[in-house]
Amino acid sequence: MRRNLDEADQAIVERLSRDARVSNREIAEQLGVTEGTVRARVKRMEEEKLIRITAVTNIDRFKDAALAYIWIEVERSGQTKVVAEKLAAIVELGFVGVMLGRADILAITMVRNAEHLAEFLHQHISVVEGVRGTRSTLGVNFVKHDYRMARIVS
Amino acid sequence: MSDLSTSAASGPIDLDTMDQAIIALLRKDGRMPYRAIARELNIAENTVRARVRRMEESDTMRVVAVTDIEAAGYGMLLAIGVQVEGRSPETVAREMAAFPEVFSVNVVVGAQDIEILVVSRDQAALNELITDKLGAVPGVRRLTPALALDVLKNQPDWVPFHAA
Repeated sequence: MRRNLDEADQAIVERLSRDARVSNREIAEQLGVTEGTVRARVKRMEEEKLIRITAVTNIDRFKDAALAYIWIEVERSGQTKVVAEKLAAIVELGFVGVMLGRADILAITMVRNAEHLAEFLHQHISVVEGVRGTRSTLGVNFVKHDYRMARIVS
Repeated sequence: MSDLSTSAASGPIDLDTMDQAIIALLRKDGRMPYRAIARELNIAENTVRARVRRMEESDTMRVVAVTDIEAAGYGMLLAIGVQVEGRSPETVAREMAAFPEVFSVNVVVGAQDIEILVVSRDQAALNELITDKLGAVPGVRRLTPALALDVLKNQPDWVPFHAA
């Protein structure tokens, strides 16, 4: 288990979750702490993988982008972890999780349309050793994604 | 109103290779100094600043802190399929999006009408979320959940900015 953020951490993260290009000095002034404190806490939170500071792009600003949920069944249950690890290495996949229920693995990716999804499954997923079959659903309206939270893995 | 703020309201945007190179560096390290980005891409620091500002102001890109769900106190992550009857999936999706534990909502085509991702502090909170909150949303016929036992990758690089 990772430690929970304390109050001082939370105040810094709250500011950074709105705009992480803000300077440490500005955060320090707003919170009434020293710049060194802000720098040290941000560094520590990043090193402990409690936060990740990254660019996110707005899917609504790009043409032909839909989210695809790919539910994957493996040949033998004992292969699940190895298959999931292979899938996690595929750059196009934004989410890979070993699941309890519905399927063995859930993978999520962004595609242009149904044809692109079919091509992606054929070229990248079905060829992975141990994949028995897939079921996919294609998003038609991406209503919400709170990008301020995720499982930080790497 | 300037052209920029008008264009920010709607419509797709095309990013050139330099914009994409800047985004790629900021995805890896969102706090990379402008000067370091400029050096890496062999362009002027002012160009980097201007392009980052343009992409931020047009609501194309944001640089943000993402908090680990476990560090935020959530021990469980689930993917739940939602079947809807008697109401439009869009309406039900919007009502589900109002719950803070529901961090991703997609209207989909297939066996399910909506796919959502949720987090929960523990089993008791999960029971309350599924039974009392999500199950009670009018139009929800059936919830089909799957619990994530292990998340190997979660990099939500492409997301809608509204309602976040």
